[in-house]
Amino acid sequence: MIGRGIAIVFQKEVKDNLRDRRSLALAFLYPLLGPILLGILINLVGGVTRLDPNQSFGLAIIGAEQAPALVDHLKELGVTLRPPPADPQAAVRRGQEGVVLVIPTNFQARLAAGQTADLEVLVDSSRLAGLLAATRIIEAVNAFGRQEGAKRLSRHGLEPDAAQPLKVKTVNLATRANFADFFLFMVPPFLIFTVFIGGVYLAIDSTAGERERGSLEPLFANPLPRAGFMLGKYLAALFFTLMAVVVQLAAFKLMFVSVGAGSGFARVLGAGDALAILAVAAPLAALAVAVQVIIATASRSFKEAQTYLGLLPLVPAMPGLALVFLPLVPQGWMMAVPTFGQTLLFGQLVRGEPIQAAHALIAGAVTLVLALLLLALAARLYEREELIFGG
Amino acid sequence: MIELENLGKRFQSLVALDRVSFLARDGSVTGLIGPNGAGKTTCLRLITTVMRPDQGRIVVDGLDAALDPIGVRRRLGVLADARGLYPRLTAREHIRYFGQLHGLSGRALESRIETLIARLDMAEFIDRRAKGFSKGQAMKVALARALVHEPHNLLLDEPTNGLDLQAARAMRALIGELKAQGRCILFSSHIMSEVAALSDRLVILAKGRVAAQGTLAELAAQTGQESIEEIFLALTGERQEQEANR
Repeated sequence: MIGRGIAIVFQKEVKDNLRDRRSLALAFLYPLLGPILLGILINLVGGVTRLDPNQSFGLAIIGAEQAPALVDHLKELGVTLRPPPADPQAAVRRGQEGVVLVIPTNFQARLAAGQTADLEVLVDSSRLAGLLAATRIIEAVNAFGRQEGAKRLSRHGLEPDAAQPLKVKTVNLATRANFADFFLFMVPPFLIFTVFIGGVYLAIDSTAGERERGSLEPLFANPLPRAGFMLGKYLAALFFTLMAVVVQLAAFKLMFVSVGAGSGFARVLGAGDALAILAVAAPLAALAVAVQVIIATASRSFKEAQTYLGLLPLVPAMPGLALVFLPLVPQGWMMAVPTFGQTLLFGQLVRGEPIQAAHALIAGAVTLVLALLLLALAARLYEREELIFGG
Repeated sequence: MIELENLGKRFQSLVALDRVSFLARDGSVTGLIGPNGAGKTTCLRLITTVMRPDQGRIVVDGLDAALDPIGVRRRLGVLADARGLYPRLTAREHIRYFGQLHGLSGRALESRIETLIARLDMAEFIDRRAKGFSKGQAMKVALARALVHEPHNLLLDEPTNGLDLQAARAMRALIGELKAQGRCILFSSHIMSEVAALSDRLVILAKGRVAAQGTLAELAAQTGQESIEEIFLALTGERQEQEANR
């Protein structure tokens, strides 16, 4: 009987809120923002950072005519010459040129004399594109330098390696060829944010809103325990929250597939990963909605509840934002901290790393127990007369 | 039948009800009257169990409200002081929602809704969303959802408040009809003529206490006054205050 009552309240709240633009926006449009923003970011930064050694790129050289051999060497490495700007320093500062290579007028003379020629690479280190281009140019120029050096050594009958006791080679162990992981660290905070905002409008509207409209008193005159009304509304808000997470996961997947053709992104968020994320998110959503119902119940008005709950999602999203810059190794105790544990698990799942079953269990169990305790508190608050008649 | 025994309720330091006892019989209309703040609405809220009394007992059709609030709510149809609607639901959905909460479903519920549409003349707006309903239309929806489960007892808080003349007349006719069906009707009002015309018995509340109760004739004999207004003023003590103010 109580179960049926809960189902009736649930159905009514879902139907009612499917007709509400604000509820729909929170559940179905807000979740798209994260994937859209990240997609734009990947396109912008990805275009800059795609380090394809065979890809040609333009370079402005001042004094190119001084060093035909060097220029030929650069051209071989895929550099196309751009006309030198009138004011190279200003051009780099304004971002018109990523890098400018300056070859001194005495270049040939110094080389011929067996001396060192000073080259300048003008770069604005606050611009990522310039920094990456500079790295590439310096490497190319250094390679040319090593060739010249080797020629000098062999003229003196020495092995080229004699002047090069060390040789460093970077071995990149990233599972994906590009900066994918950096972007993938940004997915968990978006997911956490959605968990805390997806059902928030319904939670407020069905409690504080209903009281303000004066429909709570007649509703409570119906033969269902107060806790039954609360649970029906709670489950409806939980349903909207999980819908929002599903919408966001689908949007992320779509975005990754569309930006990642040919790159590692296309394989991110397989069906199994998405289901696992949903399973990890569910207890956290149960906790988030319980907090929302409590705040909506304790607030004196819709507006007051909205003020508190508008800020709420930022707090749990914080650890995830920090993790974008400070990756951590997930450990058991971290899983016992609601939102933190989920952030780490989301991160592992998104990056396609295996997660430990024990971790998932600790995170799920601790969060769920906390959610149930808060739900019991919400049920007690629902019994108070102040809920209907204001405090 | 609704029985109130020695009911008491306070809000912090304010005594809202003080030892209130009365009986609302089946097949009878009991009018609850009193000045604003006398405790009429609080009294009805205690019966609907949305509030709990600090002392005393409420019994509805033999069920103690403190022990079986759900059972009591099943026996009640309530037109509460607050009669807010859901702006995004249609009139029909409002009635259906409350009917379902009372355990009705399927054909029985739908045909009951049709009966109410006809009786309350709601066909014109029944499938429109409640946002923008006139006060009279909103009242009909609130009343229909209170009646959907054919409750044996009816609590009506200021049922004609805000209604135009025609709608108020229709409401009075409905109350008479429900009484003729043998139901127990308890309603509150501050419109003396309405109370006098409708009620079989009167309960006069003043400052949280029952100042007097009985039929109109009994109260007239008790106070030596003839008109309901004079009786009311004599019993609530407001007459003296008004005269003192002159």
